[in-house]
This record gives sequence, C-alpha cells and structure tokens, in this order.
Amino acid sequence: MATNVILARMGEVTLKGLNRGKFEIQLKSNLKYRLRQFGKLSIYQSQSRIWIEPKDEGNQFFADEDSAREVLEAVTQVFGIVSASLTRKFTGDIKAIDDEAVDYVEHLLKLHPEYKTFKVEAKRGDKSFPLNSPMICEEVGANVLERVPGLSVNVKSPDFILNVEVRDFNYVYAGKVMGHRGLPVGTAGKGMLLLSGGIDSPVAGYMMASRGMTLDAVYFHSYPYTSEQAKEKVVDLAKIVSRFAGRMNLYVVNFTQIQLDMYKNSPQDMLTITMRRVMLQIAEKLAEKSGAKCLITGESLGQVASQTLEAIGITNEVVKMPILRPLIGMDKEATCELSRKIGAFETSILPYEDCCTVFVAKHPKTHPKHEDIEFAEKDLDIAAMVESGVADVEIIEI
Amino acid sequence: MIYFDNSATTRPCEAVIKAIDDQLGSGELYGNPGSLHKLGTNADKAYNKALERAASCLGCNKNELYFTSCGTEGSNTAIRGFVHRNKRIGNTIISTKTEHKATLEVLKLLESEGFIVKYVPMLSNGKPDLGSLSDMIDDDTVLLCFTHVNNETGALLPLEDIVKIRNEKKRDAAIFLDCVQSLGKLDIKLRNMGVDMATFSGHKIHSIKGVGMLYIRQGIKVDPLILGGGQQNNMRSGTQSLILAEAMVTAMEEAESRRDEAYVNISAVNAYLREELASRDAKILSPDDALPFVLNVSFDGFESETMLHCLEIYDIFVSTVSACSSKAKQVSYVLLETGVDRKIAANSIRLSFCRDNTMEEAKEFIGRVDEIYDLYLVKR
Repeated sequence: MATNVILARMGEVTLKGLNRGKFEIQLKSNLKYRLRQFGKLSIYQSQSRIWIEPKDEGNQFFADEDSAREVLEAVTQVFGIVSASLTRKFTGDIKAIDDEAVDYVEHLLKLHPEYKTFKVEAKRGDKSFPLNSPMICEEVGANVLERVPGLSVNVKSPDFILNVEVRDFNYVYAGKVMGHRGLPVGTAGKGMLLLSGGIDSPVAGYMMASRGMTLDAVYFHSYPYTSEQAKEKVVDLAKIVSRFAGRMNLYVVNFTQIQLDMYKNSPQDMLTITMRRVMLQIAEKLAEKSGAKCLITGESLGQVASQTLEAIGITNEVVKMPILRPLIGMDKEATCELSRKIGAFETSILPYEDCCTVFVAKHPKTHPKHEDIEFAEKDLDIAAMVESGVADVEIIEI
Repeated sequence: MIYFDNSATTRPCEAVIKAIDDQLGSGELYGNPGSLHKLGTNADKAYNKALERAASCLGCNKNELYFTSCGTEGSNTAIRGFVHRNKRIGNTIISTKTEHKATLEVLKLLESEGFIVKYVPMLSNGKPDLGSLSDMIDDDTVLLCFTHVNNETGALLPLEDIVKIRNEKKRDAAIFLDCVQSLGKLDIKLRNMGVDMATFSGHKIHSIKGVGMLYIRQGIKVDPLILGGGQQNNMRSGTQSLILAEAMVTAMEEAESRRDEAYVNISAVNAYLREELASRDAKILSPDDALPFVLNVSFDGFESETMLHCLEIYDIFVSTVSACSSKAKQVSYVLLETGVDRKIAANSIRLSFCRDNTMEEAKEFIGRVDEIYDLYLVKR
C-alpha cells in the first residue's frame, strides 16, 4: 500500500553557514503554518530535503494525487522551497517497486498523454538492497517499457524522468513543481508594507517576504471617497500576500479628514507629495508599534508624478526608517507578470476607486523643490494629522 | 434610515409577510397542485384562486397569466418564445437601446441566431422617436419590445401611440412590455392596453424576491423557456409555489388599493425634490413628465459612487445607474442614449421612491445633501 507524500527541496537556505539550523527550523515552522489546513502532518528533514507526510492514514488531502496537488502547490508557495515533487512511498522488494512504478506511470500518462519517452534515475540509500542503482534503473526501465504500451526510452532528453529511491522506504516520483525560492519568512525581521489596492504594492510585499521578511500592512481608507468594496479588495490582496508571507496585521487608517484638511489648506499640485509624506509618517509610527524596522512601498521610478527622483527624495525626508522599494527599477510589465504569478492581478484590477483618485491634481509637480513642500505644508498641522491618523486605525488580522 | 432605492428592490410589506406566515403556518397547503389527492387539489384550488386575484388586479383572464421566478424570466420567455414560435410573422424585432439588460441581452442572442434587431432612436425627453418607429415597422416585423417605465429615469412610454402605429403598420406584430417598474404605480388594465405580452416582478412592489408574473394575451403563441412536467399550461414547467404566488398577489392587491394615494404623495415629494435640487448644484435628468417614483439627478462635483457613499454615512440609500450594473463601473447607457453628457451622467444618482416614503424624508435628504456639499466637496 503506497502513501502519497511530498518531497520538497531547499535552496539558498543550505548555503547558510553557522546560521543554517535557524533557517531550517524557521522553514519547517512556516511549512507547518502554511499547511495547517491539510490535517496532521509530519514534516521532517533529511539533508537538504524536507519530507511532508500525513500522520493519519485517512488524511483526505493525501488520499489521491489530484487532491495532494493542492498541498503540493501550497508547499511551493513557502519561501525557501526551490521545488517539490509528489511522491509515492511504499515498502517491498524490486517486484513491489516495479508494480508501483508502472501504476505511477500509467497515472502520469493520463495527466500528460503527450509523454512518449522516459528514462529512470535511481538512488540507493539502503546499501543492503540487493540491486545497486544502475541495476534498479535497468530493471524498472525494462519493466515499464514492457508493461506500458507506447513509451520508449530516451536518455538524452526524455519527456519525463522517473525517479526511484530506495532508502528505509521506497519512493517513486516524476517531475517537480518549481517553488518560489527565497528565504524562509521570519528570518529577516519585519517590514510595514504600504498596501494601496493597485498592482504594485502586493508585489512589493511578496518580494520582501521572499527575502525572509515578516510583514504587516497599512492601508489608507478614504470613505466615502473610496468604498467599503475598495477596502474589502485590499483585505483580499493582503490575504493573497499572506499566502506567501504568513500571518500579518492590516492597519486600516481612516484618512478622510486628513485628506480633506490637506485639500483645503495646501496647493493642489503638491497634494500627492504632501499626502505621501503624511502617509509615511503614519506608517512609520505604526511600524514602531508593531515592531517593524522598515517601510515597504510599491514605488517604481518615474511611474507617476510622486515617483520621480525629486519626489521620492522629498517624501523620504520625513521618516527615519529605511524605505525599501523592491520595484524601483522594475518595468510595469514585469510587475504585472509577477502579480499574475502570485495570483493577485485579477483582484488588483477590480475597478473600485483607488486610494482616492478624487484628490489627485490634474497637473501635479513632477520635480518638486524644497521651497515647494515648505510652502505646501506651511498651513498644515502635520504633527496633529499624523497623530490623528495613528489614533484612528482599525486592525484586521489576516 | 431613508430608503430611496425602491426601484432596485423594496421592503416586503406586512400584508405579504402575514400572507407568507399564514401559508407556512397552515400546515395544509403544502400539497403539490399537480397531485390527484385531496392535498393536491386543495393546493390547486388555492393556486387558481391566487391567479384569479392577479387577473382581477391586472384586468385580464387568469389563463393569460403565469407565475415566474422574476421579471427577467418573463422577458426571456416572452421575447425568445414569441419570435421562435412566430417566424412566419417576420424576422425583425424593434426595440430601443434604453431597455433593461434582461431585454437587451436576449436581443443580442437573437441577433446572433439570425434575427434582425432595429433600435428606435431615443429623444432627449426619454421617449422613442415615433416617426422613426413608424418607418421601421415593415412586413418583416415580428415583435416590438418596450419598457413601460424606464428603471433609471422614470421616463414614460407613449404606449397608446405605439399601439396605434403598430395597429396601422402591422397588426400581427406583437408588443412586449416590461412592466417591472410600472406595476403598482400606474393603472395597468391589460385587456385595454393593446399589449400582447408583459412581465412583472414581485420584489419591486413589496413582495419578496423569487416571484414574478408573465402575461401572454389569449391567442398569442409562445414557446416555453422551461420544459418539464407541463405545469401552468405547459408554459412554465416546475412545481408551482403557492407561497410565492400568495406573496405576489397579496403585494399586487395591496399596491392597487394604495396606488392613488401613493401617487399623490410621491408626486409632492418628487416636485419638492426637483425644486430644491434644481436650486442647488444639481441637474435633474429625469424627464419632466416622468413617473414621480423615479428621480434621476446629477450632482455637480460628486461622482455617482462618492455621493452614494456620502449619503450612506447618514443611512440614506440610493443607487448609481441601475443596481445590477453598478459594479461594472460604467456610465449609464440609458442616460447616454438619451443624449446626456458623459460627465453629467457619471455623476448621476437615482432616487426611487415607494408609497412609504414621506415629505419629511425628502426634507432630511435635502438637508443632508447640503451638509455633504459643505463637508465633502472636492473640486478638481
């Protein structure tokens, strides 16, 4: 009786020196959290690989290969995993391996009827097994050739490689699903992500999480100019990011009054920059509270008026924390591609009014100078605005 | 709370709730009207009784009426069923581009099947250009589809003129009328209207969602949309729901008995709002002679959705274009079709009233609008 298990491979983590153990423990803990909905699992490591197995025989998520693929996908979404394979685990002699291999290949061909050629690669960890690796390859290959019609062997570029491993148990699998690589979340401190509801900011969050960062997020809500649906959309985006980044808190700042005050008391063409400066200060205060050590934005150089070098320089000045901008040199198309890859794109492009396009000037200053911002903020009580923003926050656990 | 979104749906009235309670509570009327035993025949009798009451409200015969699940089902059945069944009459359908989607989408489908659909141009008063209509009707015309009262603007259809033109130009071309917004508000006596088919909805007249009616004049042949056990004279298969029938008919009777009084009250509310709004930064988009229950207005400086949410703060509920399409973030096609400027249409809000709305509510509404202009106006 074979069991479906998952074999996951670690990447960059294995290059770590003395810290490697910490990274591995974090990775296993992240896998455990990410896979919590799939029943009781045993997650253990052997060298640079991690095995994920159901603890109970009746675990429905591993009952067949189709349902186990859902678990497989979740595994590949955990940063630190380079690839993963759905694997059959069983006991027995070479006869048992032959039978299981044939059954596995038949199942595989149903999913991939285009497969015509294959080869077998074998590893023998259990040196007491009577056949060595080349012999296992030969035996299993010949057996599959004989029993599965329509297949031929191609050792140079096969359509699929059938892997056979003999250790304390036997394993067969073919192919692997690529993971999102990166470093385990929780190994690089915490960042506060400014999440807007557009395409960029979820991608920025994903990218920093891929370097091991834990996230919290802040969203500036301008009801009634932005609707409840717009907020729900941001919550949905936060959930998508949290598939990769794990647990996070979403801070929803009630921004309406602050924006109205700005609108009434400062010049139109500097509004976006003034607004961003206040947003960053509020975000920094919230970050301090939540233990985050940096701010993360989805800015990309030159994308809009507030993302020119001058504008970024002026918005940077008001906070002490580092502001990480992982998309700063990225092309919009590349960002969209990543957004699709993480499953955020369709949600990002929903048509609800964004962080208030209502307040955006028709011709904002693209190259603001210091005098401009001084003039723009002279009638504003920025400290009071920041304080009221920090005070009027709804915290949503994602 | 002020609910000015009654064209989207209405609150079930007490008479309807009681009728449903009575039905559910009786414990004796759950039989299938198609069953041959006593329980079945009792249900059938009650069902027929409901039909009779509906027929008396609508001024037609009970065998001309069918219960449906909603107004949309009625439109689908009537339009598709009629043109499929009556190809010998012709292949051309005439309608307008300001119809509800329940009509427009069916017409689109029929076009793809090979039917020709001609759209009568709309005038700025919300009415179809009758001269064009007269020119369009020819030997090939099989069906005319119109809306009695437009759901976004309240524009009234010049039905008598249309019937007259049809009678002159092509007698056997049928007229389908969407009465979803006019039911309970206008005097509808089908027998004298010259209409061949009509659809009605329950939840727009304080019944519940899930029930509507379809009228098909005696002698008019229509293919059914839903096939099955042959219930409702083979026109609409599926076991009849006595509860839904009761909920529909009770709402119709209630609406009928309070119709005149409601019309007078809401006319006053409408006139008041028109006057107050026109003296502010708002533009009335409903035609002057529109049904008073619908008032479409464009607020300068506020996009539709922003105004909707501003009003929501005060527990005032209105709608932007028609509720079904609000999420698509489009400007109302109805307004654009009647020549309203895109910018003005983008700021349009529909207020829609029911018999329970009051002048006090209208006054509070105006007060809140002023407050909203003070607090939230952002001129770009």
